[in-house]
This record gives sequence, structure tokens and C-alpha cells, in this order.
Amino acid sequence: MSAPLELQRRFQDAILQGELTPGLFAVEDAAQEGGFRIYLNAYRLRLTEALRDNFPVLRAALGDEAFDELAAAYLAQHPSPHRSVRWFGDSLTDWLEQNPAVLPHPALTDVARMDWALRGAFDAADSVPLAMQDLAALAPQDWPEQRFRLRPGVVLLPLTWQIEPIWQSLSENPDAVTEAPDQLEHQVLIWRADLQCHWRSLEAPESAALATLAGGGTFADVCEVLAAYAGDQAAVVAAGLLRAWVEQTLLGRDDTASTSSSCTKIPII
Amino acid sequence: MTDTALGFGLGLRTAHYRDFIDTPQRVDWLEIISENYLVAGGKPLHFLDRIRRDYPMVMHGVSLSIGSSDALDRNYLSALATLIERVEPAWVSDHLCWTGVAGINLHDLCPLPYSRAMLDHLCTRLDQVQQALGRALVLENVSSYVSYRADEMTEWDFIRELCARSGCELLLDVNNVYVNSVNHGFDPRTFIDAVPAERVRQIHLAGHEHHGKYVIDTHDHPICDAVWDLYAYTVGRIGHRPTLIERDDHIPPLAELVAELDAARALAAQTLQCARAAA
Repeated sequence: MSAPLELQRRFQDAILQGELTPGLFAVEDAAQEGGFRIYLNAYRLRLTEALRDNFPVLRAALGDEAFDELAAAYLAQHPSPHRSVRWFGDSLTDWLEQNPAVLPHPALTDVARMDWALRGAFDAADSVPLAMQDLAALAPQDWPEQRFRLRPGVVLLPLTWQIEPIWQSLSENPDAVTEAPDQLEHQVLIWRADLQCHWRSLEAPESAALATLAGGGTFADVCEVLAAYAGDQAAVVAAGLLRAWVEQTLLGRDDTASTSSSCTKIPII
Repeated sequence: MTDTALGFGLGLRTAHYRDFIDTPQRVDWLEIISENYLVAGGKPLHFLDRIRRDYPMVMHGVSLSIGSSDALDRNYLSALATLIERVEPAWVSDHLCWTGVAGINLHDLCPLPYSRAMLDHLCTRLDQVQQALGRALVLENVSSYVSYRADEMTEWDFIRELCARSGCELLLDVNNVYVNSVNHGFDPRTFIDAVPAERVRQIHLAGHEHHGKYVIDTHDHPICDAVWDLYAYTVGRIGHRPTLIERDDHIPPLAELVAELDAARALAAQTLQCARAAA
């Protein structure tokens, strides 16, 4: 092992384990120990703050003290492999599922899941939304085989608990007193429109229809799925849903290419 | 306009996006933290493009980890190169440090051992990074709170040697020089005197916090008198360089930072005037 690698391994291990081993620093006295503690404290604080930023509603639900304890336990098992703290916590929901005892209520895993999905929608790729005139331009014979695409950042989030009321309350007031949610298998839709993130709960028919789109199904497939709920009114229901999806900018155009960097710039040199 | 004419800039922070868009500010250029914009889309890139229309920018990274013993992260370099194409920055910088090994990122600017082995390592890596980015990389001296048994030279000799061997340019953080001078007990002017003036591309100024025997580089306070004095000394010695004030915590209204930038402008002008009068 090269000398720089050995030094870096030892320093990093000391930070991860919270314990200084002898032989690393020039002088091993209380002052150097104090210097090391600055790195150790900064590491724990920085990663805890990153998790607070990435899971704001889970933090509000747990309170600062319990959240920070959870963050420390997660950090101990999941040091960051990421180049930016924006991604720190990508394994948190899986970890919560595997370690349910760290939460006072299992519904809080759903809260974490929703925090992370909204974080993803926030900086998902830009794309041009499908407009009503794009639909008008479709020839009647093309409708059945048309495959509408969900835009990047649109997420159908499966939840086990009806967390929406506590989500709403805690988003508006982190100190709000909330009641434990009921169990209910359902989906929440998350998307971004005009730079703002949104969510709404889905009823079963719309959930099934959007899942069909997300799976690459055609408009005919969507109508077929809806027939299980709406019978011979399926096409009417599908048309109504499609209109709402376009208005909410959930669907993207195929020729989308809006991440262009060719903006006007003030010259530098 | 040449690089040295860039003047006086601020670190772009989300709290000030609206101020920069709504009103022309007495700020010559902006420095972005590259990692904040290594995302696919949404608000970060929207505001970046919008503000870039009106302000020259430079890119400042925090996780290149140039001194790490891990292999270079090619995905990161590729994402950085894409961002460079988008921003067209005047220059690109990162820190003379390491941030983790074995695939882990401590998200901190850990100090390097000032050894010949590390100099060899840095020269090789710098070359690889510059080839991957297709441009020069500017490196910043960092604050530190420990010194290693493996050190073979002073920090300033290490930096001078690195510049001589690799030809790299420096982002001279005057606050970090001051912080290290207190933490490690040296005269900060010795450091400034040793820096190869012609290699200094940019200067950073920032505030810090006293914490027992240590000064911590927190970027959450206004610049203190000792750092102003050291800045004047630096300008007197190397001349004007594009100067930037960093604030990362307790971010005040933009007007306060613009006023602090005015103070930097005035101090630099006064120092250069005195130097000319003395010549």
C-alpha cells in the first residue's frame, strides 16, 4: 500500500469509526486530538444536515432529536459514495424497511419515500410537455396505437399508509400535531410543473391507467384497463383523464429536447 | 476583457437568485459550486442559465478529490465537462485536498500530506484531469486542523513545488492562509511571500470562527480585520487578482455582501495606489 493511500485509509477509518489511532499526526497531544475532532464533528454534522434537507417531512414528523439519532444510525452503516450530498439518503427507505424498529410508526417509511420522490422530481430532467394542440393534431386512426410518455420526474409512488393528511399538516407546519394514519394500499402521483413540485393521491382507475402508460402501453391498452372500472364508458373516462394529464403537464413530447445549454451569455474574455 | 480584469465577485447562493435576476448588482462576476448544478434539470439549471446571461461565471468544485488515492471518477469528470460546456466559465477550480478513499466521500476538504510521494501523485492526476476536461484546472489551498507525521515540507513549499513541477495555477484563499497560520503557528506573510505570484489566478476571502485553540473556516461571518490586512499584503505583493467573497452559512441579504465586496475593492485600490506611489 502506498504511503498516501495508507494515510488516507487511516484518517478516513478514524472519521468513520469516531476513534483516533496513533501514528497518523505529527504531534499526538490534546491539541491534535482537538484538530481531529473538528473533522469528525464536521463530518457528522454535514451529513446529518444533508439528510435533513433531503427528508424534510420525515424530520418534521420525528422531531429534530429523533431524526438526528436516526441519521447517525444510518450514516454509521451508509457512508456517502456520492459526489454531492444531494444524493445522500438514497438508501434510506430501504434501510428503514429493513430496520423498522428505528421508527415509532411504520407509516413513516412512506413519508421518507415521498420526501425522496419529491426530491427527485425537483431536479429531474427538463422536457417539453405535450400540449392540447398536439392531441388535436393526431389522426383518428392513430389514437389506439398512440403511446403517451410520462415526463422525467413523474412518479407513481406506491404507499401502504394514508399519509397525505399528516404530510399536508407537517409541510405547512413542522410542529403540527398529527394522528397516526390508516393503512391503505394506494398510489400518489408526483410531478414537476413550471419548476414547482406537486403531488396528489390517485384513485384506483387513474392509478391503473397511469401504470399502463408508464409500462409503455398504448392508448387502447389504457382504455382496456379502464373498462374494468368504467365498462363501456372507458373511452370517455380515458379522454377525461388524458385531458387532465395534459393540463397538469404530466406527458412529454417525443421530440423533446429542452435541456439545451445554448442560452445567451455575457462574454467573459 | 482579460481574466485579471474580472474584478470582484461573489459566490452564487440560492438565497440571492432573485436579487441577481431582478436588479443589476455591483458584482462583477459569480462563482458557482459546480456540484450544485450536476443535476438533470429543474430550478438549479433554470436559474443558472438565467443568471449566466448577465454575469460572467467561474466554476468551483468541492469533490474532485485530486489528492485521493482512489482512481479518478470518470463519470464525475464527464458530468463536469458537460457543465463546463453549458456555463462557459472563465476558469474551473477545485481544492488541493482529498475527500475520501475506497469509494467513500467524507464531503470534507481533508488536508494532504506535504510529501514528495503526494507531489508525484498530484502531478500525474492533474495531468489526467486537465486532459479529461480539456482545460487547465485551478487549485485552492485549504484550511487544516491537523498536520501529519508524513509531512516532509511546509504547506507553502509544497504548493510552490507543485506549481513548479505541474505548471498549475492557484486559487489563493487568503482566509485559509490566515486560519492555518493560527492553527499551525506560522507567520501568514511567509506563506504569501512564498507563493509564485504569476500562478495566482484568483483570490478567495471569507469569514471564520474561533473555537478554542483553533480557527475554523466556517464561511459564516464577515471577513475579520486580520484577513483584510493579509489581503492588502497579498495585493501589495502580487498585484490585483479577481477576488471573491465566499459565504456559505448565515447568509445575509445580498446588499451586505455587496458592501463587503465594495470594501475589498476599495482596499485593493488603495493598496495598489500606495504601491505605485512608493515605486
